[in-house]
Amino acid sequence: MAATFQSSLYASRRRRNRISMGLAFAATAFGLSWLVLILAVLLWEGFSGLSLSVFTEMTPPPGSAGGLLNPIAGSLIMTTIAVLIGTPLGILAGTYMAEYGRYDRLTTVVRFINDILLSAPSIVVGLFVYEVMVAQMGHFSGWAGAVSLAVIVVPVVVRTTEDMLILVPDTLREAAASIGLPRSLMITKVAYRAARAGMVTGVLLAIARISGETAPLLFTALNNQFWSLNLNAPVASLPVVIFQFALSPYHDWQKLAWTGALIITLAVLALSIIARTLAAQRKTS
Amino acid sequence: MQPTGRPPVVDVALQGRGIAVADQMDRAKVLQRLRLGDAAYRHLTRAAAITVLVILGGIIISLVWGSLPALRAFGISFLYEEAWNPVTEKFGAIAPIYGTIVTSVIAMLIAVPVGLFIAVFLTELCPMWLRRPVGIAIELLAGIPSIIYGIWGLFVFAPFLQQHVQPFIISLFGEIPVLSNLFAGPPYGIGILTAGLILAIMVLPFVTSISRDVFEAVPPVLKEAAYGLGCTTWEVCRYVVLPYARVGVIGGVMLGLGRALGETMAVTFVIGNAHRISGSLLAPGTTISATIANEFTEAVGDLYTSALIALGLILFVITFIVLAAARLMLMRLNARVGG
Amino acid sequence: MSVAAITVPAVSHAPSSAEDLSEKISIRDLNFFYGDNRALKDINVPLYQGKVTAFIGPSGCGKSTLLRILNRMYDLYPNQRATGHVRIDNDDILSPSQDLNLLRAKVGMVFQKPTPFPMTIFENIAFGIRLYERLAKSELEDRVRHALERAALWEEVKNKLNANGLSLSGGQQQRLCIARTVAVRPEVILFDEPCSALDPISTAKIEELIDELKDDYTIAIVTHNMQQAARVSDFTAFMYLGELVEFGETTQIFTNPNDRRTQDYITGRFG
Repeated sequence: MAATFQSSLYASRRRRNRISMGLAFAATAFGLSWLVLILAVLLWEGFSGLSLSVFTEMTPPPGSAGGLLNPIAGSLIMTTIAVLIGTPLGILAGTYMAEYGRYDRLTTVVRFINDILLSAPSIVVGLFVYEVMVAQMGHFSGWAGAVSLAVIVVPVVVRTTEDMLILVPDTLREAAASIGLPRSLMITKVAYRAARAGMVTGVLLAIARISGETAPLLFTALNNQFWSLNLNAPVASLPVVIFQFALSPYHDWQKLAWTGALIITLAVLALSIIARTLAAQRKTS
Repeated sequence: MQPTGRPPVVDVALQGRGIAVADQMDRAKVLQRLRLGDAAYRHLTRAAAITVLVILGGIIISLVWGSLPALRAFGISFLYEEAWNPVTEKFGAIAPIYGTIVTSVIAMLIAVPVGLFIAVFLTELCPMWLRRPVGIAIELLAGIPSIIYGIWGLFVFAPFLQQHVQPFIISLFGEIPVLSNLFAGPPYGIGILTAGLILAIMVLPFVTSISRDVFEAVPPVLKEAAYGLGCTTWEVCRYVVLPYARVGVIGGVMLGLGRALGETMAVTFVIGNAHRISGSLLAPGTTISATIANEFTEAVGDLYTSALIALGLILFVITFIVLAAARLMLMRLNARVGG
Repeated sequence: MSVAAITVPAVSHAPSSAEDLSEKISIRDLNFFYGDNRALKDINVPLYQGKVTAFIGPSGCGKSTLLRILNRMYDLYPNQRATGHVRIDNDDILSPSQDLNLLRAKVGMVFQKPTPFPMTIFENIAFGIRLYERLAKSELEDRVRHALERAALWEEVKNKLNANGLSLSGGQQQRLCIARTVAVRPEVILFDEPCSALDPISTAKIEELIDELKDDYTIAIVTHNMQQAARVSDFTAFMYLGELVEFGETTQIFTNPNDRRTQDYITGRFG
């Protein structure tokens, strides 16, 4: 062997490699085991409380049996409204950034700000909507809750819309232009259709994100222990009810909190899986 | 486009066959109408884009507006006073600020090395068929809503730490001078350390996925060149892959930090909500977001509410700076790779 | 059958007598598979010490694949395997007990795309040396200088050893990679299309370098540039569709090939 080597140096290099690779393996096992632990406990505690009454009965006072009907309804309503407000706004903004103003200064700034809003603390969003709506209106309301969720939806949809529209090949746009199609029609009839799966994925991810959000609702929609469809007043929501029940000293309430947590987690996981499957389909087509 | 005198050949041919054809004047009218709609759409989308900026502006303005009473009352001393007394209306932010920073630092100290090692595993060691499942599993950790981490932390993790881990830590560092104060009992289970640990688990998937993406973007030729010299896998990762991917990794770390700083629900459940700074990490404390979450709806009086909003402003400023720095770094990375 | 387009300088390619030749690498019955796809079929070829062997052939013929077997680079990727025997000094490097790091210390490789590490020029070279030897600072500096001199790069970089490796031009980066390979003191150097990303002047410099290096090493070079193969190598192997069609002294291959396919390739009929 012309390449001289000191065997002790080589041995220590090999040892360091073995230790490091071992650490990498251990780190992965460490990370995965937390996932397993959390999901296992969630299933164990939440599943035992799962029954039809959870979906049909109201939140009970401590000591009685009951369900989670009003928080589930409240969450569904506020989430739907938030998506109805936030999605068109997000899509339109993303459209501007990808189609009309792709290289202009406004887009650069908006993209930067949007990415910051994407990761901004959601409790700050709650404070903002409190100041702007609740303080002005003089009372908490479901509308305020929906608006605060919408503020969280917008950056997600803006980002995915812009990304997906940029992926649409220019040849498609040129083909549309060559038959005289004006810009707006080219966008709505051609580009949106091409990017449809990706944009839907973005909306699903936004829904998954707001399903678990508690902080912004704490001082916008507040909470409501009775059945109410009046959005002009406090509305119950699943995350806030979990917050209240879990921190209480009552065993029944804690059990309902676990069940509610399980419901939210399953919903979020289901949405993520659907979004992922859609994304994978898009890749193969 | 003005219609010319003679109709196009195609139109003539079609008309000859008895197929109705809109004449050129009609077509021009249609296009004229569409043009107006076109301009309207352009303005609409532009307005929507500006709305994003308006939202940010709105957040800043409303926070500043809401904090004014508190800032006027306390001035700069708000930032370093510890007392938090709703009765005497004396508020100081140092305890929440301290808690926010310390829990986030603990979280990053754990999440960054672990995340980097997991990224090394996923890019170098993991067999191909296992890569996607493991990657997805780690990302699922990011998808779990923070309130779930909260109740899990309160009912499972904190009691476990209290019974099995914290007594051990207290006795382990009992005799050592500085560390015995850092890890002094009693073992509450909840506290700053617990909150930091839970944050670590929440931040881990962010650091891991971004690191994994940047590691995968390293050109294979570069790694082959290092292997070609006889480097071990660890040496390739440490001396070639990591330096190459350095900017992206830092961007990912800062993104994770931004999330840790703003995290509310998971921390609120396990931090103990004590408005003071203790020497020990095992003691209860509070963070900015936990304080706001716990006290806002109970706050009586304008000064109290204003103090809480001022806390929100401080949090927003801190996270804004961290996130802006992260974005700038990631933008620089994209520019380098593209150019 | 003369090949007018290619001039073969007579000096460095004087036919060797049998006693001069010692077989450094001996490849026997080598087959290589990407999954189920057989990319190399029953290859038998010798690589001689102190000589340059060129592998030529149309794209996809397997020449790079063959080169990458010699330092077991394919081991980094799943679904790729080799059968047969490849012996370097009587060690079968295909055997599972072969230590890969040591093999790669012995068999160096220069890639098509210049790949300096993200480090200073000095560190690029020192990194490899430090893997294998604990040297005093002054010795290390001498070794780095020596490697850069052998790669004909010393004069150009001696005042900027702390500059980043990526700040050099393409041709300089490639010479840096050669210096890095040489610094580790291998016995064999593999060049995988080393000049295809470079301009003609850098190409000429590197060909000169290969000519100087060959006395101390066994060199194998893959190239799609036939003139380069003719200029630089002592022996040439022509490959086609995963098979070794013909092997012989370069002068013979380019002036009087035995196989019809070799002649067709050399005259530019295909590839």
